[in-house]
Formats: sequence, C-alpha cells, structure tokens
Amino acid sequence: MDTFASYHPAALLGYFMAVLLPAMFSANPALHLLVLLGGLAFWALLVPGRTFAGDLAFYTLLSLMIAVTNPLFSHNGVTPLFFLNGNPVTLEAVWYGVDMAVMLVAVLYWCKCFHRVMSDDKLLFLLAGTASSLSLLISSAIRFVPELKERIARVHQAQKAMGLYSSGSYVDRLLGGLRVFSAVLSWSLECAVETGQAMKGRGYGLKGRSHYALFRLRPRDGWFAAVTLCMAAAVVTVMARGALTHDFYPKMTGLSAAPEALLGYAAYGVLAALPFLLEAAGRCRWHLLLRRCARQDTGGEPGKDGVRWTY
Amino acid sequence: MTCSSWKRFLVPAAVAAVVLAGALLFPQQYYAWISMAAAVIACLPLLVRFERRSPAAGELTVLAVLVAISSAGRFAFAWIPAFKPVTAVTVLSAMYLGPESGFIVGALSALVSNFYFGQGPWTPFQMFAWGFLGFLAGLLSRPLQKSKAWLCLYGIWAGLLYSLIMDVWTTLWADGTFVLGRYLAACASALPFTVMYAASNVVFLLILGGPVGEKLQRIKEKYGLFQNQA
Repeated sequence: MDTFASYHPAALLGYFMAVLLPAMFSANPALHLLVLLGGLAFWALLVPGRTFAGDLAFYTLLSLMIAVTNPLFSHNGVTPLFFLNGNPVTLEAVWYGVDMAVMLVAVLYWCKCFHRVMSDDKLLFLLAGTASSLSLLISSAIRFVPELKERIARVHQAQKAMGLYSSGSYVDRLLGGLRVFSAVLSWSLECAVETGQAMKGRGYGLKGRSHYALFRLRPRDGWFAAVTLCMAAAVVTVMARGALTHDFYPKMTGLSAAPEALLGYAAYGVLAALPFLLEAAGRCRWHLLLRRCARQDTGGEPGKDGVRWTY
Repeated sequence: MTCSSWKRFLVPAAVAAVVLAGALLFPQQYYAWISMAAAVIACLPLLVRFERRSPAAGELTVLAVLVAISSAGRFAFAWIPAFKPVTAVTVLSAMYLGPESGFIVGALSALVSNFYFGQGPWTPFQMFAWGFLGFLAGLLSRPLQKSKAWLCLYGIWAGLLYSLIMDVWTTLWADGTFVLGRYLAACASALPFTVMYAASNVVFLLILGGPVGEKLQRIKEKYGLFQNQA
C-alpha cells in the first residue's frame, strides 16, 4: 500500500529534486531541520518500527561523529571555546558541524526514501523517452547481473567437481576466482552477440517503432506537480532574494525571522512534509475502506468462524 | 559539421546557468554545488554522443554484459575486502573496444551496481571517476596493449585516482567547502582501501589482461562490432 510511490515517475523525480537541492546546497539550519523532520516522518511510514529504530541509532552516531570532527579541522570563527594543540576550537565551528551533520543525515534519509520510491523500472521509464539506447543498455545490464551471478556459481561448482583449486589457500582461491570470471565472460559475450542478432532479426532499430508506456499521467499527478512547483518556486524566489542566507563564519548571524523568510520556511516545510502527508492520508483512507467492507460483509460483527475479514 | 550553430552554445550556456544558479541560490555551499554539477555535466557529452550514434543491437548487448559482469564481480570477490573488478573490466573494455565504450562501461557500472548498493549524491562522482578512467585507457590503448609494465602502472594510477576523486567528494560533502586538513585526513584514513584498489587492479589486469583481451578482440573481429571507433 504505497500511496506516494503510486504518483507518476516524472512528478516524483521533480519532487525529489525540488526537496533535495535546496537542502543540500544551502547553509540554512532551519531548512536542514525541516527536511530532516520530513524525511524521518516519511521513512517511519515506509519501514517497520524495529528497522526505523536501528537506522536512527546508526545515523545519530554518524551525525555525532561529523559534528565532533568539524571543529578539529576547521578553525574559522571568532569565539574560541578552548585550545587543542595550540589550535582554537570555536563555537562557530561547533555549530557548523552540527548543522552539517543534520543536513547530511537528512539527505541520506531522503536517498533511502528515493531508493524505495523510485524503483529501477520508474527511472528506466523516464530515461526511455529521451535516451532509448542508454535505457535499453541499463535495463539489459540489470537483467544480466543475476544471470551472471548464477553462471559464476555454476562454473565454480563444475570446477570444484573437477578437483581444481581444492586447497583453501588465498592464492589458490584468488586464481580460481579469476579463472571462473574469465570463463563466464567468454560464455556471456558469445550469448550477448546472439541476443543482439536476435534483436536485429526482430527489427530493433527500425524507424517508426514506439516504446510501451508503463505509467500514465492522471489528474492527481497534475495536482501533486502543481503543489510541488508552487512551493519550490516560492522557496527559490525567497532564496534568490537573499532572505534565507545564513552565515556561520566569522560570526554567526541569527536566523532571520523576517516575514519573507518565514514564508520561505513555511513553503519548504509543506514541501518536505508532502510525502508523509500523502502517505498518511492514503493509509487512513485504506483503513476506513477496510472497515466499511468488513461491516458490509458481516454486519459489523466478526464472521461465524470468529475471524474478521481483512483484505 | 552536423552540429547546427545554436547547439554549439548549449554547453557554455549550461555552465553559465550552473554558475549563476550557484551564486544566486547557494552562496554558502558554492563548492559542493559546482562540483556536483561539474560531475554531472562532465558525463553528459559522451552519453549524448553514444545515444546519438544509435549503436547496433550487438554492441548494446556486449556493453551490457561488460557492465553486468563488473557489477556481479563485486559479489563474486566479496570475500576479499575492497576488491572491485570494475576498474579492470572498464580498462580492458576501453583498450579493446575504444574510449567511448570504456567510458560507457565505467560510468554505467557505477550506476548499475548502485541499484544494489544504494544511489546517492556520490553516484555522479563514481560515474565520472570510472568513466574518465575508461576513456583515458581507451586513448592510451596502444602502449597499454603492448607492455605489461604500462598496464601495471595504469592499474596503480587508476586505484589512486579513483580514491583521490572520491575523497574530494567526502571532503566537500562533510565540510561544504574544501578544507585541506580534512582532505588529507580522508586520504590517510582511506589509504588501506587505496592500496587494495591499486593492488587488485594490478592483479586483475596482469592475470586477465591477456585472455579477456583476446576474447574482446575476437568478438570485435568475428562479428564486425565497434568498427567505427579508433
């Protein structure tokens, strides 16, 4: 049940660009915090609770490490806290490290979401419209990977059965591995050429052929794209006017609370929360429908066998 | 000249747009933005040229197998840490099938193997690093085919360069700007990996250089593929 992932791939790709670019390349802590919260909330809906907790522990450690190491390498800033080996550790560098850590972890979380939402068929669908040869090359490579892994295992077993490289020494294993690799390569190259000839025989590359479209634009994709576009345009306009600039060095400027900056934060907050909101709304609707179905089937009571129907 | 006159301005216009957007929108993270955009833009011309050429079906499938085997090889040799056959396969494809094929195999290996290992902002950098190493090996194909010593040197240099490029990414990513101390620290902490990359490239190229080279040469001559490449 993925509501957000069911939008059109082009709209989704546009959305991810709109939310990631300002976060990755601005130095505004408020934007970084907003994007982190949005990503965390969405990721919490996508994975089971235990996975989420494990991830959170790992990324908290990672961000602590980044935040601590920054002041050791960077001695910019005018407020020294203490001196280490004769180098000042400054307040500004500490805050900069914290901000960087938040941004990095946020982007990593969004990359995980991207990986989950934009499966390879969606990316290849987008590429096929503009670059058909490249997308065919990538999709056949993706198909060959499991096939080659299986071939590697088969050749490996055959060589083992013949009594080759039976000793466990590293040199033996390495040489054996390379021999398997070489055998699989010649096998697969020959097959590849045959596949190519079969494709040619069936008219690959002739004029006037179209490709099959897996996804179709629907009205809700239009709404989604329009909201994304409006919010992104608002953020970019505010950024271009300089209302969201924030400097850490030499001395930190306070976060701007001008109306224009607040507008930028609000727009970006909506943008970052969009996947969470859509996904949560979709789940609520699904559960309501389930409940209504169950009520219609059994008159609101559990069935005779005591089991409530679930779909 | 097949290029119409306005298309010649596309690349300068794209560069200008990137620089302007960086200066206007992201003044504090200028370096990270520029380096990322540069990695993307550096990959584009060769990918576009490949697409325009509309390569034959046989060339596509052969390249797909090479891309796939360098990704699958990461699993096959997983018991040796940091042993990646990607560079070696890229270099060998470039030596025998031309610089463009080398670029395609290198760049797409990064893209395809990241479907398994996770896509992220590092993907364009890996694509650029491996693609560039492949393209260069294609240009140097004559000395590399003739002497094993040059092949070894190229393997070492490729391991080193890959590591150095990815450390630039680490530094820009962690600091937003290029801090020399952080870069040196990143290089130092990655040293075991760098050594392992270089060593695995050399082992791979020395042992497989001959047999794989013969196979690629044979495919090329027997089926008349990749003939329009230098």
